[in-house]
Amino acid sequence: MAATDGGAGRYRQAGVRTAIVGACGLLGLGGSGAEATEVRTAILGYTEPDRVSAFEAIIDGNHQFSDGKIVNFRLVYDALTGASASGATPASYAQTFTRPSGEGSYVTAPGETPLDDTFRDTRVAVSGGLNLPLGRLSRLGFGLYGSGEHDYTSLGANFNLTRDLNQKNTTLALRGAFFHDSISPEGGRPVPLSPMRPAYTPKARLAGDGTKGVMDLGLGLTQVLDRKTVLHLNYTFSHVTDYQSDPYKILTVVDASGDPRGGTDPMGADAFLFESRPDARTKHVLFGRVARHLGEDVVQFSYRYFTDDWGIASHTLDLTYRWELGGGKYLKPHVRYYDQAGADFYRRYLVDGEALPEHASADYRLGDMHALTYGLTYGRPVGVGQELTVRLEYYAQMGESHPADAIGVLKDYDLFPTVDAFIVQVGYSFGLLE
Amino acid sequence: MTVALARRDGHWCGVFRAMAGPCEVLLEVGREDEARPLVEAAAAETRRIEAKFSRYRDDNVIHAINSGQGRPVVVDDETAGLFDFAHRCHEVSGGRFDVTSGVLRRIWTFDGSDRVPSRRQAKALLPLVGWEKVTWDRPAITLPAGMEIDLGGLGKEYAVDRVATLLAERTRAAVLVNFGGDLRAVGRRRAGDAWRVGVEQATRDGSGRGLELAVGALATSGDARRFLLRQGVRYPHILNPRTGWPVMRAPRSVTVLGEICLEAGLLATLAMLEGERAEEFLAAQGVRHWVQR
Repeated sequence: MAATDGGAGRYRQAGVRTAIVGACGLLGLGGSGAEATEVRTAILGYTEPDRVSAFEAIIDGNHQFSDGKIVNFRLVYDALTGASASGATPASYAQTFTRPSGEGSYVTAPGETPLDDTFRDTRVAVSGGLNLPLGRLSRLGFGLYGSGEHDYTSLGANFNLTRDLNQKNTTLALRGAFFHDSISPEGGRPVPLSPMRPAYTPKARLAGDGTKGVMDLGLGLTQVLDRKTVLHLNYTFSHVTDYQSDPYKILTVVDASGDPRGGTDPMGADAFLFESRPDARTKHVLFGRVARHLGEDVVQFSYRYFTDDWGIASHTLDLTYRWELGGGKYLKPHVRYYDQAGADFYRRYLVDGEALPEHASADYRLGDMHALTYGLTYGRPVGVGQELTVRLEYYAQMGESHPADAIGVLKDYDLFPTVDAFIVQVGYSFGLLE
Repeated sequence: MTVALARRDGHWCGVFRAMAGPCEVLLEVGREDEARPLVEAAAAETRRIEAKFSRYRDDNVIHAINSGQGRPVVVDDETAGLFDFAHRCHEVSGGRFDVTSGVLRRIWTFDGSDRVPSRRQAKALLPLVGWEKVTWDRPAITLPAGMEIDLGGLGKEYAVDRVATLLAERTRAAVLVNFGGDLRAVGRRRAGDAWRVGVEQATRDGSGRGLELAVGALATSGDARRFLLRQGVRYPHILNPRTGWPVMRAPRSVTVLGEICLEAGLLATLAMLEGERAEEFLAAQGVRHWVQR
């Protein structure tokens, strides 16, 4: 080398890059420099024929400042009406159940799955957060969450920390979320496995409101594999403590005939017991997603494995294909398969004379089941920076309708009716750039 | 303002000529009426920078400074920012990066011929080279008579970054700005994938190597086609402003991956100036790089 400057400044040290990056920063060329607001709105209708209907409106948005800070907010309004399975079994005669409030009752026809039709609720959830750059490669975000419905409130806080490596082809993420929920059901919280009482008769209640604590911790990795492929992996550990029973769900204690014990007066014979779930739950979720470009289109496949110490294990396979129609229009078919091995304490019913388990629930969501979702989304620009989407989805959830060990008359009834649901969502999003 | 626009593999590709070559802007937007104004804005900004900082014009700030005859010239904020940057680079490179070294082109023309000047000619020019002789007192710059400022060593990279920043302010779509191999990507692509770019090999077969760039910048210093050859000795076109002589064991080219194009370009240039220690220098910087020898 012909240089003869005597190595001024010991310049081979790694500090050169830092100095240059710092000098670049003075020119305002780092970062995207964008100052932009993006707002998304959606309304969603959900209906399970003969069961629950829901209406949901969502508005969420974020604003990015030129220094890289991002604030986001989200407002969700849900209205639910309809009936949901109470957990009781069908019987060969008309059954009378007490409404959760303890005031009044409803009747289920012979052979029909008992549905509690007092299900009506509105929920409002608000969340917001701030996400800011920490140096050039890391970001820190934190947020707050609050939701309220007439018998349930939830307050939460979360954080996330991401770091880019390898020229941003790799991103590592650490996430945490913490919630404190209060449960104050109509008619109070029933004592687990205590019997349903006739209307206007006090039932055994736990003192005060229930509380529930949730702690989620997650690790994520996003890796650009090649020009067309990106891989995302996630592990989440979750620990839930305290009151986790559903205060409105019951189990039937059947006798040898398969009908509720007590003949014509099941309630008098304590045939309907409120469910009981453990007050601690540890969950693990592994999630992987691969997205790949095929020319203009994008195919995305994900797999999720869930397991917890209640004995539930589930697999979810999800496939979407974004088919570009040109001019910014697209069609996105979607198919999802879900398979779940139920909780250890899941019982479709209890049997008279057998020892009462410590925990039991007939909530169909905790049972052995599988579900299929088929969906189609159509999206199109409706002006520069604005997009309209319409999503249609059909969901069907199936379990063991006729278990081989069903007792007596229960052999003749569908013990796990297929739950199907239709979902229609219309979304509109727009961006504002200053 | 001629801007050519074509749809390609999921994005719009806009091409225009500026800075002595084709300039390319790739935009991941759906519609031509979204892409066109963005490409036109990119072309306008590139030509603005070229007109303002080119040393081949007599109507711009560079000309005003170079013909200042030892008098101070007050410059605007943008120009001042570039001088601050040049000052810092001069400082951290121990004087190897120097925007006053353009006068050496009077004796060095790297056209593949054997016209190598004498050491005496090179030495004679050295009094006119050296940022330390310049009085830079923002916003006023004073050049001793006979000296010249040439921002050619960072102009293209600066334009790439400016255009990328400008486009990021106007669209949320992913954008790749590519001015003859100096490039920068901003905005996440749909589905989070990367742009595929070629790192040109300074080899005889000209085969390119593929590289995935999601967000960031790539810049190359060195040009295998620009050298002098005399009595079997190859004189590469990278000049040391301290000696007025080429850095004899410089790589053919150095390509650096960085956050922004100016950073990548400067590190590539400084690596070239390190000569045979280019790789060592790059390793110390902790950047991904490709060196052609």
